[in-house]
Amino acid sequence: MEKETLIKLEKLNQLRLDDTQKISVIDFFAKRDSEMEIINSIDTKNTERMVHVMPILTVVRDDVEKKLFTRDQLQKGAPETMDGYWQVPRLVE
Amino acid sequence: MKYETVIGLEVHIELATESKIFCSCSAKFGGEQNDHVCPACCGMPGMLPVVNKHVVDLGMAAGMMLNCHINRTTTFDKKSYYYPDLPCSYQTTQWFSPICVNGTLQIETSKGKKDIRIKQIHMEEDAGKLVHDDWTNTSLVDFNRTSVPLIEIVSQPDLSSAEEVVAYLERLRSLLRFAKVSECRMEQGSMRCDVNLSIRPEGSDKLGVRTEMKNMNSISAITRAIEYEVSRHIDALENGTEELVQETRRWDDIKGKSFAMRNKETAGDYRYFPDPNVMPIVIDDEWFDSVKNALPEFPEIKKAKYIELGLSEYDAGMLSESISLCECFEAAYEVCKSAKEVANWLISDCMNIVNKKQWTVDMLNLDGKSLGMLISLVMEGKVGRTNGKKILEAMFDDSSINPGEYAEQNGFIVSNDTSLIESVIKEVMAQDEKSVTDYKNGKEKALMALFGKCMRQLKGNCDPQLLQKLLIDCINKA
Repeated sequence: MEKETLIKLEKLNQLRLDDTQKISVIDFFAKRDSEMEIINSIDTKNTERMVHVMPILTVVRDDVEKKLFTRDQLQKGAPETMDGYWQVPRLVE
Repeated sequence: MKYETVIGLEVHIELATESKIFCSCSAKFGGEQNDHVCPACCGMPGMLPVVNKHVVDLGMAAGMMLNCHINRTTTFDKKSYYYPDLPCSYQTTQWFSPICVNGTLQIETSKGKKDIRIKQIHMEEDAGKLVHDDWTNTSLVDFNRTSVPLIEIVSQPDLSSAEEVVAYLERLRSLLRFAKVSECRMEQGSMRCDVNLSIRPEGSDKLGVRTEMKNMNSISAITRAIEYEVSRHIDALENGTEELVQETRRWDDIKGKSFAMRNKETAGDYRYFPDPNVMPIVIDDEWFDSVKNALPEFPEIKKAKYIELGLSEYDAGMLSESISLCECFEAAYEVCKSAKEVANWLISDCMNIVNKKQWTVDMLNLDGKSLGMLISLVMEGKVGRTNGKKILEAMFDDSSINPGEYAEQNGFIVSNDTSLIESVIKEVMAQDEKSVTDYKNGKEKALMALFGKCMRQLKGNCDPQLLQKLLIDCINKA
C-alpha cells in the first residue's frame, strides 16, 4: 500500500494513526496483497455472484407503524443529550 | 467556442409508507426530535433490519412507471458513511443489484419530445438530521428521519439544459404522485435532487470535468444553480478564472452562487459490500403482478378517456393531473353519469374548498360515490345548488356523510308544495310593493329582486323554475 493511499483511507475512515501504527497497517496490507493475487487469479467469469453461503431469502414485514420505545428509554445510556437530541462533537462540513 | 451542457440527475424520493424501511417506527415527516426512533434505527448493537414489504412494492411501482426492467432478485449493500446522522457508520442501500434498471422517461420542452434514459432505481435508508449548536459548539442529532425509506432514481447524462431538467423533474413528480409512490413535496424534502453537470465543446463526445450540486429542493433554485454552474464552467475554460476539479458543491440560493464542499468521492471510496444482515429479496410472479395490476393508467390515457366522455381539453387536463381527482371523478361519474357536471363540481367547488383549507390536491379525501350522489340530487332538482355546496363542505369535514340523508336532516330537500310557496310569495309581495309595481311597469330586474327574497325565505329549498312561474302568476293576479 502506498503512503498516499493510507492517508486517503485515514481521511475516509476518520482515523488518525501515529507513525508506528502506519508502518504496521502498511505491513498488514502488503501481506494481504499477495493473498489477493491468489484470489484474483481465480476465473469467476461464469460464476454467479453469491450473497450468502446458504440459499436463504429475507423475510419482509407489513407496513405497520408501531411505537415500541420512548425517547427517554433510548437515551438512558447516552453520554450527552440536549433538548431530546443526542449531543456529539461538532461536525461541520 | 460553442459549448453544450451535459447533466445527469440523482433524485431522492421519500416513499409514501407508514413505517421506516427496516423497522416499525413512524416514517411521518416532522414530530418531536427523536420521537420516531427505536434501537434498530438508532444503530444499537445487536439489532437486525427487517425489510418493509411496501417499500419494495413502491420501488417496483416507480420502476414500472419509468419503463424499467425489474430485477426479480434484488439485494442490499452497505455504503461506508462516517457522519453521526447515520449511527451505524454505513448506509444500507443497493449497489450490486438494485431493484430497477434501464428505464426511460419522456419529457417535452419547447424543443419537442426527448427520451431520458434511467440508469437505475435503488432503495435505501435516509439519514437523520444534524443541528449545529454554536453556543455549546456541538452537533445535535435527530434520528427521526434515519431509515425513512427512499428510492434514488439515477438518470444517464442525457439532459442538456435547465429547461430539460425542470421538465424531467415535473414529469417524474407527476408520475410518482400518480402511482402513489410518494407525495414528492420538495418543500418537505420528500423529493431532493443532486445535479451532476459538465460542459464540452459542441459536437465533442468527451465529457468535461463534472461537478455535483447536492440536495437541491426547489425547481427555481435548481434552474438558477444550473445556469450559474454552466457560466462558471465556461468562464473557467475560456478565461482561466479557476481550475475545474471534480467536486461536490453546495448551492447558496440567497447569494446566487455555488461553493466547493469536498472532493467528489468515487464509488471505491464508499467501499460497498453486501449487507450480511439483509438476505436477498426474490420477487415472484404473484408479487410482481399484484404491483403491476394496482398501477393506475398513465395521465395521458386518462385525459384521452375524459375527452371521449365529452370534457374539454382543459377540464380533462386539469383532472388528469392528480390521481385523487381522477379517482373521485371516475367514482362520481359512475353514479350520476354526467361527466361535465362532475368536472364542474370538482374543478370549481371542490378545488375552492381544497384551497381554503390550504391542502394540496392529493389531500382530497372526498368519497367519489358520495359526490356522485350529491350531484344527482342537484341535477334532479331535489337539492338546490346553494344547499348542495353546503352539503359538499360538510362532506369534506366528514367523509362518511350520505348526501341524501344529510339533506333531509338539515332541511335541504326542495319543496314542491305550491301552497307553501304561494304563501311566501304573497308575504314578500306585501313587504315589497314597489318591486311589484316596478315589474308591472316593465322593469324586469324587479322580478329578480322579488325572486331572491322568496328564495331566501324558502332557504333555497325550492325549484327555481317553479318559483319563477308561481311568482309571475301571483303578480299578474295582483
